[in-house]
Amino acid sequence: MSNLKLQHLEKIYDNKVQAVYDFDLEVNDGEFIVLVGPSGCGKSTTLRMVAGLEDISKGKLIIDGKDVTQMPPKDRDIAMVFQNYALYGHMTVYENMAFSLMLRKQNKNEIHQKVMAAAEILDLTSQLNKKPAQLSGGQRQRVAMGRAIVRTPKVFLFDEPLSNLDAKLRSATRREILLLHKRLHATMLYVTHDQTEALTLADRIVCMSMGHVQQIGTPLELYDTPANLFVAGFIGLPPMNLFDVEIKNGKAVCADFTVDLTPEEKQLLAAYEGKTVTLGVRPENVVPGGTINVEVNSNENLGQNTLVNGFAGKHKITCKFRDWCNYKYGDNVKVSFNRKHFFDKETTNAIR
Amino acid sequence: MTENSAAVIKRDRLRFTKNKTSSAMILAAIAANALYFVSIYRTDVGNYYYRLFIGASIVYNLVFMLVAFLCSEGVKNYKMGYAYTSIVVGLLQIGRIFYLPREAHETQSTVVGSEHLKVMQDDQFNYVVILLCISAALLVVAGVIGVMKTTTLRKHQAELDKK
Repeated sequence: MSNLKLQHLEKIYDNKVQAVYDFDLEVNDGEFIVLVGPSGCGKSTTLRMVAGLEDISKGKLIIDGKDVTQMPPKDRDIAMVFQNYALYGHMTVYENMAFSLMLRKQNKNEIHQKVMAAAEILDLTSQLNKKPAQLSGGQRQRVAMGRAIVRTPKVFLFDEPLSNLDAKLRSATRREILLLHKRLHATMLYVTHDQTEALTLADRIVCMSMGHVQQIGTPLELYDTPANLFVAGFIGLPPMNLFDVEIKNGKAVCADFTVDLTPEEKQLLAAYEGKTVTLGVRPENVVPGGTINVEVNSNENLGQNTLVNGFAGKHKITCKFRDWCNYKYGDNVKVSFNRKHFFDKETTNAIR
Repeated sequence: MTENSAAVIKRDRLRFTKNKTSSAMILAAIAANALYFVSIYRTDVGNYYYRLFIGASIVYNLVFMLVAFLCSEGVKNYKMGYAYTSIVVGLLQIGRIFYLPREAHETQSTVVGSEHLKVMQDDQFNYVVILLCISAALLVVAGVIGVMKTTTLRKHQAELDKK
């Protein structure tokens, strides 16, 4: 296993379109990094640059202290798992897993041992004589992972590997990937647009938008202390409620409600007195009881909790209550906020 | 990896790999037979070949190719019956030498002016005999390899089942 340094990587296509700006990241040995962001944010391009499938326009890529920026993909000792599995349909599972080693003309007995060990890890031993068409989507993805495992590469790359699976299978395969990482203790780079995958799998998350890295941190850091409005809105489901408020005499005031600030918040926002900032409140931080009136629009019972959508005056608001609620359209609920985030209106950065 | 464990792994590999060696050898035998078949009537002096056996010869060649192809697929998947069939068909290829090529080689032409010639000349006889020998050898060796590998696999599978 190995560490990986992505030093100020940039990707500029021939038509001058820039897909990735100044991507700088150091991945430690055995770390699981998830690149997350909406479609077109440059996460897959970054992964493909690491794999060698895209040229690096600027910056350096270093694996285990060795500069591999100009190295062809086959020499980088990297294995990639694709969304569409990329299995050979005419080969059996065993042959698919052994194929890359056969090409390298490795000893057949050693190949066999590696394939059997990978099949054991991935619970594919009974499927080894089957062809990909005879397998389910989850099993096919496990074969694709097995093909990567047998090579014992320095770095594993995953490009949205669960996107083709249904919700139940995705959840099960996600757990398998997590177990696989714990078992192999391999350095992994994983691309997804699904924040649930990012939060559950990652040691650290890289949140991207429009080719720029927005924040790098642990799942808790991104959830708890988002660096800017983009991260605040992207991480968390349902997304954070955002309101424009004016800081006035130790209170956050908008046309529809007024929120008292804690002494710490007052101190934090002292420089913003009389100015407008963005107040962010996660739905789970909206609690029943308080002074803010919410007119209920919909009530969604999810079993363990209830999502209540409504309006605080003209502001749309989503509340996630812990109890089973039975609000009806038009009901009024009084709420308050037990945790608040503030963002600079101009820079969109978090105020800290 | 010890010598013993290497042998076990080699046996275990049979469970997931096909017997491509035997299969390829049988396909090569079919190719050799095809070469034999397309060249056998090259020196048709007079109407020696236009007897009943020309039909039988054609039918046999068709049957041979079908059976050999089935053997190729069968031995690839470690089917013992096909391995034995391959050996039998190989031996029949040897037997064929003593029928059509030899008879044609030993028969004088009946065409006026060519009585001094044989229906099948020496060079052609040598050529077709070599092709039949190659075809026969490939089939027999493929069959023997098939029998050996299939026996090994069966024993190994039985050991695994016991565990």
